[in-house]
Amino acid sequence: MGDSAYSFSLTTFSPSGKLLQIEYALTAVASGATSLGIKATNGVVIATEKKLPSILVDEESVKKTSLVTPNTGVAYSGMGPDSRVLVRKARKLAQTYYRMYKEQIPVSQLVRETATVMQESTQQGGVRPFGVSLLVAGYDELGPQLYQVDPSGSYFAWKASAIGKNMVNAKTFLEKRYNEEMELEDAIHTALLTLKEGFEGQISGNNIEITWRKSSNFQGADFKLTLPKTCCKTAQRLRCA
Amino acid sequence: MSIMSYNGSAIIAMVGKDCVAICSDLRFGVQHQTLATDFKKIFKINDECYVGLSGLGSDMQTLRQRFVFRHNLYKLREDRNMKPSTFANMVSAVLYEKRFGPYFCEPVIAGLEPDGTPYITGMDLLGAMAPASDFVVAGDNTESLFGACESFWRPDMNPEELFETISQCLLSGVNRDCLAGWGGVVTVITKDGQFTRSLKGRMD
Amino acid sequence: MKLDLSALLPDSIRPKAPIDAALDDVHLPGPTGANFPLPDVADVDSFERQVVEMVKPSHGTTTLSFIFQGGVIVAVDSRASMGPYISSQTVKKVIEINPYLLGTMAGGAADCQFWQRNLGIQCRLHELNNKERISVAGASKLLANTLFSYRGMGLSMGTMVAGWDHKGPSLYYVDSEAQRIKGERFSVGSGSVFAMGILDQGYRWDLSDEEARELGRRAIYHATFRDAMSGGTVSVYHVTKDGWVKVSGDDVGELHYHYYPAE
Repeated sequence: MGDSAYSFSLTTFSPSGKLLQIEYALTAVASGATSLGIKATNGVVIATEKKLPSILVDEESVKKTSLVTPNTGVAYSGMGPDSRVLVRKARKLAQTYYRMYKEQIPVSQLVRETATVMQESTQQGGVRPFGVSLLVAGYDELGPQLYQVDPSGSYFAWKASAIGKNMVNAKTFLEKRYNEEMELEDAIHTALLTLKEGFEGQISGNNIEITWRKSSNFQGADFKLTLPKTCCKTAQRLRCA
Repeated sequence: MSIMSYNGSAIIAMVGKDCVAICSDLRFGVQHQTLATDFKKIFKINDECYVGLSGLGSDMQTLRQRFVFRHNLYKLREDRNMKPSTFANMVSAVLYEKRFGPYFCEPVIAGLEPDGTPYITGMDLLGAMAPASDFVVAGDNTESLFGACESFWRPDMNPEELFETISQCLLSGVNRDCLAGWGGVVTVITKDGQFTRSLKGRMD
Repeated sequence: MKLDLSALLPDSIRPKAPIDAALDDVHLPGPTGANFPLPDVADVDSFERQVVEMVKPSHGTTTLSFIFQGGVIVAVDSRASMGPYISSQTVKKVIEINPYLLGTMAGGAADCQFWQRNLGIQCRLHELNNKERISVAGASKLLANTLFSYRGMGLSMGTMVAGWDHKGPSLYYVDSEAQRIKGERFSVGSGSVFAMGILDQGYRWDLSDEEARELGRRAIYHATFRDAMSGGTVSVYHVTKDGWVKVSGDDVGELHYHYYPAE
């Protein structure tokens, strides 16, 4: 036994009934780069800031959104290295599902499995919770979907949501701009506008990342990874406006 | 004698127009000795998916339990039924898990996909799938079953025609098989529901 | 004129008739059939053991026979199988040796057919030589002697010789090991255990003709039901003092639903 009353495990209830490590993890998320997602009628989009510490960093090498399956993408706020672990595990879970059923894992299943991984590190000894929240966007038989997964392992389905440093303002902005009939084109535009709102400095194709999935032609169309040129153009348009 | 024909079995699945049928014989024996004549070898997974298991009787029961267990968990997790194709892939994966100590069963899966297309597939005991667009047979006398099916099957049969055809194929097939027969059971799956009928057959 | 008594002499010292000698040249068995050419190999025994494996006779059969006050009942199924495959449902497993003698077939079909026809020849010769019909005991002994001379050479037979002679109904079991047993009821073949179960349960010496025939029929039917290798039709023969009659031949497909109507 160590010196402290809580030293045997990082994830032990405090006398007030809280798991402090989870709260700290959420703090880490809340100080991370802003990410947001919007579900449209015919697709879903996620976007995130990609602020780099120095102009000397090769921005092409930094990837903040990732594909888990051809029809599911993930953005995160919080600790980058933790997110990579989660993405790797999520991809493996998706492939395990695919191996068993020869069918892409539904978004809800992927989210649940990933959330389970995150929950496990709030209960096991010798581990710390993940310092990230995820925005999982995907498209399956049930249409476009957007989920948020937190370090505690809880997850929520959203029409639109934001996480990270500027999440409160971004959510307020989205609440104003969102409507149910929104199409993907519109949603991408709104996503960029929302990012721009809380952005410190000039937004450009180099310091944001945006990923979307269009529902038309479900069979063939994969999740589109960042297309810098399109982003640049949209960003330019936004600057002009 | 092969372990695959220790208990005796005969199974056919057949495709019709917007419907599928699957049937089995009813004998359960130990080598030459007939012990029961009410041993059905086709099992319902859900309204749109049935599985037939040929081969060793004890493994049939174990596999049925494992498949139903898997399907129940899937239903609870995903709040939907497995499609026949999904179920078949699961069966294949479950069988290959026992690559070096296999279940002595060759499954036949029949059902309707969500869009209404008929789906049938056969499999060997390690899980190698052999999907077909007309019919699939399994059991200890597939030659005779194949012969009957090749002669009687034609495309686009309606549910009643399909029932008659698969029944005649099963009965003719098992009439050349010492180890299978003693009656049969047929299930026809259509998009409006399923019906199951038992067949009177030679009892020798 | 000198009487030709050569038929009474043993084969070994009997002078060969010209026709017999001619037959020898083409390696056909003579009237009593005891000169098959042997394979030209060093070790005949182990060669024969291999041959037996290759021409393994079908063992799926049910035959039964019993004597009672009204004569002898012989009942058989009609299935022939090659492994699990049914090669015929219409095999004749009762061999009509002569109007007073029946033989049954279990084991190798060709062996049974050939040697029982051969037995028929021997019985007819006996009849011609002795001006009276051979007894069942005598006939079965002739068959047993023949089979003894081929013992260990791969013949496969389990046969019952049934008939009516001067002592009344009589029944013998003879097999390819040259075993010969007199008895009042026998059942031979893969389904024999099932048939014997019914037979033992229902048998009495003073069974009426109809009861006896039905007992035989029912015993074979139950054997076809339980034994995978037996089936087809149930044939029942009855041997009386006037010779044998075929009583019935029922397709098991119908017989089952006659005994146990559906629903």
